[in-house]
Amino acid sequence: MDALTTALKVAASGLNAQSERIRVVSENLANAQSTASVAGGDPYQRKTIAFAAELDRATGGTMAEIGAIDTDKTAFPVEYMPGHEAADEFGYVKMPNVNPLIEMADMREANRSYEANLQVIRQARDLISMTIDLMRSQ
Amino acid sequence: MIAGIGALNGQITGGGLTENVAGAAGAASGVGASFASMLEQAATNTVGALQNAEQMSVKALSGDVQTREVVDAVMSAEQSLQAAIAIRDKIVTAYLEVSRMAI
Amino acid sequence: MEVNLNLFDLASQQARWLSVRQAAIAGNIANANTTGYLAVDVEPFSKVLDATSVGIKATQAGHIRGAGEAEGIAIRAEDDPAVMPSGNTVQLEEQLLKAGEVRRSFELNTAIVKAFHRMMMMTSRA
Repeated sequence: MDALTTALKVAASGLNAQSERIRVVSENLANAQSTASVAGGDPYQRKTIAFAAELDRATGGTMAEIGAIDTDKTAFPVEYMPGHEAADEFGYVKMPNVNPLIEMADMREANRSYEANLQVIRQARDLISMTIDLMRSQ
Repeated sequence: MIAGIGALNGQITGGGLTENVAGAAGAASGVGASFASMLEQAATNTVGALQNAEQMSVKALSGDVQTREVVDAVMSAEQSLQAAIAIRDKIVTAYLEVSRMAI
Repeated sequence: MEVNLNLFDLASQQARWLSVRQAAIAGNIANANTTGYLAVDVEPFSKVLDATSVGIKATQAGHIRGAGEAEGIAIRAEDDPAVMPSGNTVQLEEQLLKAGEVRRSFELNTAIVKAFHRMMMMTSRA
């Protein structure tokens, strides 16, 4: 397969992977305050995403695949809120183990990677264009 | 590649074309001789420019060369070639016109 | 007298090499966050030229099968990279810089081919 077309496919897989990552981050952020509905229950557990590199035999390109979407096993922080529906017998509520600052930093990283992949797609497309333009008479 | 362009050189200087032109100039053989030498000069310059352009391009493709140098070399080769072709065309036209003259 | 390489052939070879390099860079950028992924790059163009004239495709340890295999252009992991805690060695800025190099070389390549093609056409015109 034409190496430039392979580059396009690989970059597209990168875009896909980063989009998934952004989705996971937004889920975490949206549920940063989601507690359990029953007393003493577990709140929203932070999700993590891992990527895996996969060599596509047909094109020879190293695609980026979603390895696994897992949960963060870090302990839940607790807050003292006696009247809360999820409060245990001592009045403590388990809060999600989501740190908005970390999520925002991750989001920024994901955006940067997304932009880089987009840049590759633009360039590969331009190089293909240039090659075809050679045939154009003027 | 230069061989193809070299044939052009042959047309201008070799082939008897310049001799005919020089001969047609008649008694003013001095003028004819300098004209022929001028053509030879132009053709030689063209071939030289083309060879330079080709060398620079090969260097640029296989290694690292100042971009502007390559561009300049190729452009001047093209200019030289264009001029040489224009001269060739004019000569051919003139020759045909002369050959059509009633004796 | 130096051998007059066919300019168009050389340009073709370089274009192929640049395309393979672009694919390698794309792979690096796409996997910039993959744990344990090692950044790769193609062997230098001069090596490709030598190999073509000798006609041997060398296989070395650490050889990674990639887009260039079919064309005889070897891709291997970069030596002495900066390794991140995740085991990933891709640096985005470096990769984007290399992509820029590819672009510049490719543009020059196509421009040279176009110019010489034009000149060839000029001489064969009536």
